[in-house]
Amino acid sequence: MITEIAPAPGRAAAEPARPRGRRRRAWDQVPRWQIYLPLSLYLLFTLIPFYWILLFALRPAGSTSLVPWPLTFEHFEKVWIDRSFGVYFRNSVLVGVSTLVLTTLVALAGGYALARFDFRAKRGFMLALLCSQFVPGALLLVPLFQIFASLKMINSLGSVIIAETVFQLPLSMILISGFIRNVPPSLEEAAWVDGCGRLAAFRIVVLPLLRPGLVAVGSFAFVHAWNHFLFALMFLSEQGKQTIPVGLNTLMSADSVDLGALAAGGIVAAVPVVIVFAFIQKWLITGFSAGAVKG
Amino acid sequence: MKSSIRISRRAAVAVALGSVLALTATACGDDGTEGGNGAEGSGKGEITFWDNNGGVRTDIWKQIIADFEREYPDITVHYVGIPAASAQSKYDTAIQGGGLPDVGGVGTAMLAGLAAQGALEPLDDRLADSPLHGHLSENLLQVSKAAGGGDALYQIPTSANNGTLWYRTDLFRKAGLDAPTTWSRFYEAAEKLTDPGRNAFGFTIRGGEGSIAPALDAVYGQTGITSFWNGDKTTVNDPRNVKALEKYVALYKKNTPSADVNNDFTKMVAQWDSGTIGMLSHNLGSYQDHLKALGKDKFRGIPNPTLEDGRRVQVSNPVDGLSLFRTSKNKAAAWKFIEFAASHEENSKFNESAGQVPANTDAAKDAWIQSSEPTRLAAEALNGGSTTIVQLPYYLPDWNTISKADNEPNFQKLLLGKITAKQFLDTLADQLNKAQAEWKQRKG
Repeated sequence: MITEIAPAPGRAAAEPARPRGRRRRAWDQVPRWQIYLPLSLYLLFTLIPFYWILLFALRPAGSTSLVPWPLTFEHFEKVWIDRSFGVYFRNSVLVGVSTLVLTTLVALAGGYALARFDFRAKRGFMLALLCSQFVPGALLLVPLFQIFASLKMINSLGSVIIAETVFQLPLSMILISGFIRNVPPSLEEAAWVDGCGRLAAFRIVVLPLLRPGLVAVGSFAFVHAWNHFLFALMFLSEQGKQTIPVGLNTLMSADSVDLGALAAGGIVAAVPVVIVFAFIQKWLITGFSAGAVKG
Repeated sequence: MKSSIRISRRAAVAVALGSVLALTATACGDDGTEGGNGAEGSGKGEITFWDNNGGVRTDIWKQIIADFEREYPDITVHYVGIPAASAQSKYDTAIQGGGLPDVGGVGTAMLAGLAAQGALEPLDDRLADSPLHGHLSENLLQVSKAAGGGDALYQIPTSANNGTLWYRTDLFRKAGLDAPTTWSRFYEAAEKLTDPGRNAFGFTIRGGEGSIAPALDAVYGQTGITSFWNGDKTTVNDPRNVKALEKYVALYKKNTPSADVNNDFTKMVAQWDSGTIGMLSHNLGSYQDHLKALGKDKFRGIPNPTLEDGRRVQVSNPVDGLSLFRTSKNKAAAWKFIEFAASHEENSKFNESAGQVPANTDAAKDAWIQSSEPTRLAAEALNGGSTTIVQLPYYLPDWNTISKADNEPNFQKLLLGKITAKQFLDTLADQLNKAQAEWKQRKG
């Protein structure tokens, strides 16, 4: 059976008439189940691992039940208190938020310079920024370690924040410069005419228009810093300084894994990222699509 | 106006570039390498200890450290727990970049690499003058010495692991099967306990990460070949081993789940603990996981099956231990900690918690071992006269590469029938022979 979906009356009146070609008609005539069935299957495929994690986190150790019943929070209690995830969580928040703030501020300054000024080494600088993206973090571990050691910054969250910021900056700067280029310079010039200085014009006129870009860059920096394992593992030693990804790894020993605790730890690690994405997804999509147009 | 704009442009560019370069400058800089031979120190003060199996062992190490600090109030130990999977890379980075600890947990699998890089202090003389002398298992000391290259002792062994065949006693009882104490009983049980329609399988095979050692264990165990080397050539591709491997991998899909091709120990243990699979070949380390999942009455852990004549041949398992790092500025205090941790009481406490066989011979006689059947049987197998250990060449600096990156994908191909057992073992043998020749040449 083919179902015709009539457009909602209000919407039909508000929208201008669009040419409905043969392809468009064919698309509208596709039975709904042909759309929803594959989407549901895909969703099922994607969500089963998440269900598996929830199941292991919420059912008692040793249970083989396929539903999390009887419900228990023993694994969460174990990771949060016994395995110090409360401390790791606090450290990860500190690293993530600091990286976000630092990356956004420096990328704004650098991106503005790239978008608004012409200088001799601009092309070379852009090329260097792009090339730096090809260098894996692991390659720079030893020099970074030596530098932080000489600065007495080993075992300090500052070393991880700086390293994360450094690795986030090139892409962030390129993205931000694209957003700034999309803001007509005449807007800033009008603000200058009205008596604003460059900084005030940027703050009052340009900055509000960059919100999608800032959200995109900031969230990208936060999520990357939140999930990154290597720098935290190498630069931090004291247990009270370690972050969530390192904590998650310590739940797996050489010969034994507590799957309930691992699943609970995974949920603790994932929840902030999911919340961040839930709040910012609107700006994120706008931000990435707008920033991707020009580089 | 024009000039002020130019000045502000320049200033903005300078500020922007300056801030970026200040941050990117961290990627190139001075040499802070911590080198040298360290110092004996006063035997007091602070030392740092890296636990190569951090997390799960953190609590017991903290207890041992507390005991130590009570015994030696003028020494403070800083504990650093490192995830097991990342211990090697953390050590390697610290060797290159500085910041090695005074004492570190080092397994035999990484001992050769660390010793070859000159990171470890030889311990033979210290052990000879120590109260520990004569109280550590000679077998394990030999393994430790061989794993470090054979010239010196770079590790004080604390624990031995052992290959263990875990089997479901409830399923065996139901099927009227005897315990799989011999290889023929093992194959018989694998066959009888398989019923794919009920998702029941006789065995779960390790096809993913870490597959090579268990496969070699099964191969040497079945053929009874007792040495890994015959002169300068490995025995790994001996025709009897080829035949044994063919028989072992034939279990795949026939008596094992097909997903086993990707099994690392995590998946394998989880699958065995939550499913209806008769047998699992792992080591003592997963005992607590089985206990939590199945309860104590549904399973047993026994050493690897024997040949029909009662002889047991098995490959050497990694020995865990403590090493003293050459760069330590307080070697005297660090050695006191190693001595203390390997002493009777503390070694017993550690191994009871870890479920492993103590290296301290006095600790190995303690009562808890008698009540922990898998550990007791493993200890008896390791020290018993009827067991021969085939020493895997942990001392080869290339061993980790050969036994992991180079051949784990090949083992998966073998399971999937894309190469034969002979091709697999010939490739492995070729690489081992070359690595052995290179190692001998380097040693002179």
